[in-house]
Amino acid sequence: MLTVWWANWPIVAAGATRITAIVLAANRVVACSPSAAAAGVAIGQKRRTAQQRCPGAALLDHDPDRDARAFEPVVRAVARFTPRLEMVEPGWLCVESRGPSRYFGGDERLAASIVEAVVGAASPAADDIDACGLGVGIADGRFASAVAARVAAEHESTRTLVVAPATSRAFLAPQPIGWLHQTGEADAELISLFSRLGLHRLETLAELTRAVVADRFGPPGAHAHRLACADDDRPSLAQEPPVERTVEQVLDEPVVQLQPLVFLGKRLADQLVADLALVGLSCTRVVITAETEFGERSERAWYRAAGLSAPAIVERIRWQLEGWVNQPGGLASGVVLFRVVPDEVRHDGGDQLQLWGGLSEADERAVRAVTRLTGLAGEHAVLVPAWQGGRLPADRYQWIPATTADLTESRDDGRSRSRQQHGPYPGSLPIPSPAIVLDEAVPAVVADKEGAPVVVSGRGELDATPATIVLGEREPQEITGWAGPWPVDEWWWDERRHRRLARFQFVTADGTAHLVAVEQQRWWVLASYA
Amino acid sequence: MSDAALARSDVTTLARSALTRSRVLPVVDPLVALLPDGGLVRGRAVSCRGTASMSLALALAVQATAGGSWLAVVDLPTFGLEAAAEFGIPLERVVRVDPPRPGPTGDTWADVTAAVLDGFDVVVARVPPRLGAGVARRVQSRLRSREAVIITIGPPATIAVDAELHATEPAWEGIADGWGHLRGRRVTVTSSGRRVPRPRRAALWLPGPDGTVAAIT
Repeated sequence: MLTVWWANWPIVAAGATRITAIVLAANRVVACSPSAAAAGVAIGQKRRTAQQRCPGAALLDHDPDRDARAFEPVVRAVARFTPRLEMVEPGWLCVESRGPSRYFGGDERLAASIVEAVVGAASPAADDIDACGLGVGIADGRFASAVAARVAAEHESTRTLVVAPATSRAFLAPQPIGWLHQTGEADAELISLFSRLGLHRLETLAELTRAVVADRFGPPGAHAHRLACADDDRPSLAQEPPVERTVEQVLDEPVVQLQPLVFLGKRLADQLVADLALVGLSCTRVVITAETEFGERSERAWYRAAGLSAPAIVERIRWQLEGWVNQPGGLASGVVLFRVVPDEVRHDGGDQLQLWGGLSEADERAVRAVTRLTGLAGEHAVLVPAWQGGRLPADRYQWIPATTADLTESRDDGRSRSRQQHGPYPGSLPIPSPAIVLDEAVPAVVADKEGAPVVVSGRGELDATPATIVLGEREPQEITGWAGPWPVDEWWWDERRHRRLARFQFVTADGTAHLVAVEQQRWWVLASYA
Repeated sequence: MSDAALARSDVTTLARSALTRSRVLPVVDPLVALLPDGGLVRGRAVSCRGTASMSLALALAVQATAGGSWLAVVDLPTFGLEAAAEFGIPLERVVRVDPPRPGPTGDTWADVTAAVLDGFDVVVARVPPRLGAGVARRVQSRLRSREAVIITIGPPATIAVDAELHATEPAWEGIADGWGHLRGRRVTVTSSGRRVPRPRRAALWLPGPDGTVAAIT
């Protein structure tokens, strides 16, 4: 098995290898150019950290469609060696190498030719492209060859690494266990658990017996163990997918435009995923085939260890068809057959191993919209809640710019931005809280029934019953109910910041209630129960 | 299950076929009777008026956001986060957007709202009072095509709404002359409008002693 892996493909696709640039998705680094990496930027970092390390870097948005389009020439170049290829994502593909290796004179020669072909395809018009990040690896099994490709990326001269047949397990042994997560075969939680239990290298995992690992860590652990032992030549976590789960569509009229085909693809993908989900299966590998009237054919396998959701399948359909329909020369006729075959399936135990920590379609849409809105309205106009804690309603939760927050963080460590993890704040008023919280308190005047201002003692006691209240510029309103004081004595040890105020709840004649505070005989409206 | 090879059919029909999401976003039980379709219809708008408009809007958004939809708050810098959390809205799916420098006919508001509709299922917004009719049509058509829901606080101006919810007869419990604290508010919510031929009413706690909306039994 041969893997071609280009680490910072999004940077290459954006044509930004020669400048200092970072590609971000949902405020996390997805790829960076060599100069940015030299400054300390790494994949997976938060946006702010990356900006601190490398302030002058150009920030680019992650655009998977652009990556896919730019990668198509590379795929075509590799397909000339063997048509049977499998893609994981733009920048990462693998091919069965036994046949081509014999034909091209050995593994080393094959790998070197492929590197040449890939670099040539990625840099059209003889543009000198920096091949930094490219690696081609050959080993037994998909996982070992992926690791080999990543290690090869560090060999700047050859960019290839060939692991002799039957030595894959020995090759994998000293490798860090993090590779399982980096290749998408295990999620971050499992790897973190492994390392906390002292399993730092793949060999330490492989040394355990399969049954023990399966017992303790379940099917994902057993899968990881199989990979560590380099036993994944033939997928066995997979079951033989029943042939009747294939979805296909034969078209009456040949279709030449891309858009209707993608609609059709969406319908087929939804149906396929639903069918499989009904029997508790999730698809890890699909083969997408499209054929025209005159027999032109596009057939490609797509693999994703974490399982392919319907939106993921549609995305890949779009990538594949776009590349095919827009290839140099175009198509001679319209598409008449469209088929999606689930090639490998696995039990979907409800646990979604997803690379980005379990984002749903709604999450991804919202995160993309936030990026666009930040560009439209400015960083300080797009805000998200953050727990801060405090006695006054405006203090308890804060609004922070969305660009400083990790919108996907909550899924990983349990909603640290919300209040659930923190108990009721000491000194806070009981539920229910006011629905309208003023960011700047509005001055008010509280008077008794004679019209004289109500005076507050040092302990917050009123000298007369409050009868009317003037909120800001409005007309005086009758107070029909009130309660308080709830004193607040903050920063008493700091002369400059010392604050003493008393909070009251007032209900006015029109039925609205307000949270009002008095500080040094001045009244302010803090919030309204609207 | 038999072979999924579909019968020969026209591709354009397939393109227009219904997507797999549901047509109506759910709302909590006490509010079901007030809305024309028993929930928030995707692609449409409702408005909340009166002294309890913000609480009403929060209550309407609870079920949808708890179920995974994201909520955008447009032009409402006073949105009470704690109250929202008490109603049951998960704050990790809330984003607030403040449209810049409102133009005379609300162009910037419309640009921002259109971008918001692309990514968010539920939008709670204040509508500029002099929103131009053409601009409103643009927002409305984006609303329809993205299948989101707009809940306006205050008058909807030129945005067409299916129903207007009005809270009246507010009565706070728990507070008197200098003792107690606000425990809950009873209101009567009336629903009227284009798609509500006969006005409907419901007596509700908004909010109740636990911070959520509940029917008064």
